[in-house]
Amino acid sequence: MTINSETMKPVTNLERTSAMDAVFARFFRGEAARRLRTFAPLIVLVVLCILITIANPNFIELRNLIRIANSAAVPLTLAMGMTFIILMGSIDLSVEGALSIAAMVLVLLATNDANANDYGWLAVVAAIAASTAMGVLNGIIQTVLRIPSFMATLGVWFIGLGISVFMLGGSAIRLMDNSIRSLALERFLGLPLAVWVAAAAFLLAIVIQYHTRLGRHILAIGGGEDVAELSGVNLQRVRITAFGVAGFFFGVAGVLAAAQLGQSNAVIADGRLFAAVTAVVVGGTALTGGEGGVLNTLVGVLIVTVLANGMVLLGISPYVQQTVQGLMIIAAVALSLDRLRLKIVK
Amino acid sequence: MKKLSDIFAAGWVQGAIPPALLVLLIAIVEIGSPGFLTGETLGLLLGNTAVLFILATGVTFVILIGGIDLSIQAVASLASVILAQLLPSIGALAFPVAIGAGLIFGILSGIVHVRLRVPSFVATLATGGVVAGMALWFAQGRAITIEEGGRLSTTWINGTVAGVPVVAILAAIVGIVSFLVLRYTRFGRYSLAVGAGEPAALAAGVNVDRTKIIAFAISGTLAAIAGVILAARLSSGSPSLANQLLLPAIAAVIVGGTAITGGLGGVARTAVGALIISIVRIGMTFIGVNIFAENVVFGAVLIIAVAITIDRSKIPVIK
Repeated sequence: MTINSETMKPVTNLERTSAMDAVFARFFRGEAARRLRTFAPLIVLVVLCILITIANPNFIELRNLIRIANSAAVPLTLAMGMTFIILMGSIDLSVEGALSIAAMVLVLLATNDANANDYGWLAVVAAIAASTAMGVLNGIIQTVLRIPSFMATLGVWFIGLGISVFMLGGSAIRLMDNSIRSLALERFLGLPLAVWVAAAAFLLAIVIQYHTRLGRHILAIGGGEDVAELSGVNLQRVRITAFGVAGFFFGVAGVLAAAQLGQSNAVIADGRLFAAVTAVVVGGTALTGGEGGVLNTLVGVLIVTVLANGMVLLGISPYVQQTVQGLMIIAAVALSLDRLRLKIVK
Repeated sequence: MKKLSDIFAAGWVQGAIPPALLVLLIAIVEIGSPGFLTGETLGLLLGNTAVLFILATGVTFVILIGGIDLSIQAVASLASVILAQLLPSIGALAFPVAIGAGLIFGILSGIVHVRLRVPSFVATLATGGVVAGMALWFAQGRAITIEEGGRLSTTWINGTVAGVPVVAILAAIVGIVSFLVLRYTRFGRYSLAVGAGEPAALAAGVNVDRTKIIAFAISGTLAAIAGVILAARLSSGSPSLANQLLLPAIAAVIVGGTAITGGLGGVARTAVGALIISIVRIGMTFIGVNIFAENVVFGAVLIIAVAITIDRSKIPVIK
């Protein structure tokens, strides 16, 4: 582009500074405000819990808290993968495709009611491997063909969904391997094993983000790709690896989802993309990349799950849930975007 | 490899590939099954393409300004639910109400995108969620059949005029109006300018925000029209009625030769793209490709088409 957008800045600001921006600027300026913004999701979560407890004390019962932990397991695992992608400033729309691929591979290879396979835990490994491969495919398509991630992953989303529904023959296939089913049915210290798996995934994500080179490189790319490249980060390798890591987490989530549901079907992944994106964004990870992380996402997942649980306790129609989540995405993104860095929003 | 990409980058080649592909596909179908493109089957093809084309035309406006609309399937489904729900009580008035809802949610997407400065794919993902939730809520999660009484107002959509299905005529009207709007109105020229280079358009005094909001409003309205037609054809409305149409609609736009980066393309290209997608779908059914596997083909086609048509000079960093 021959026109330098820096010199256009005065025009841009004049044109674009609406009253709303001014209000945001007043609220989110300075160090104190920055700290407030960092902790805003946590404050929202606490306030939400208090309000729901006041409205319906059943919320705080141990049984309900376990229920919340259980229903947060799959979204948390998914959102861990999504966090890395959004940290890079990209997006992965193929969540539902990857999850349904993993669930499909799992039920078809483990004991089921459609064929005679019985590979036990090898099926779990195969499922996660298949989903990881999808993630790597995303990364390769994005970096080698050089197309934006939302388009690459939109295509892969439907490729994955198509393959899994095709392999399932359009019907639901039951998972009958008891040891895999025990992920959802058995408990350890009062919590279903699925919750522990999700917690392990969370720990793994923490290690990747804070204690590996990959994690630092992902943050660097999100913070500024040109700077990262000049600093010697191998962009292509980091991007492909990050999408692969995301695929790994989606695969684990797919295994958990199939174990919880006891089957795999065409709609096992419905709404998962939405929940994952909501959780990451509500947690405070910026869509522009380079800001936030897996700790934010944990809070985000809890906000989304607690709110869904609270709405059920308060007798609000479950159908409205998507509407509420959509509004939450809009509010969270609008509040968290670093407006100074965005000259053009597409 | 470089030579190949140079060939694809030449403007006229990009413009010529889709029509050539369409002709090739028609020839293949004609050879495989002579007489396919005459009379009744041609009418059927046009009728099936109509809904896809109307949806894709709406998205064309948004893609031309360099954005994307991921809420069209939700808006179309909501419109179908509203139509099915209201036809028994207010009769034909249900049409403007359903289409008006599409307009409102289109404007809403635009405002969220422009005023709150949320990237369009997230903004429309979010409004799509809002709309899908509302559709589920209105319909209480069920499909609503349009009863005998309500069907009186929808039969005309399923009819034919001089052998041409009414839906095809509606699609043609939508296409021609959109074509004229893009080519001969200030908004149309501004859209292309915004898509081609937003800073330049802004500096030239184009009201970028308004242009963008109008583009999203058109997308929402056309999605609702498509939803209404779909409901009339199937005699039912459901919160997931149009869910399978998001990918084919975007694929139709891109395959037709409109660049995802904006500023290049148009409604005529989308018409070609929609026909290609339709023929490929019919062809796949004909060869015996499993209906569930069609999405795999469309996903792959989408990626390939984006890779060919995208203008990489416009995006310094591919995120």
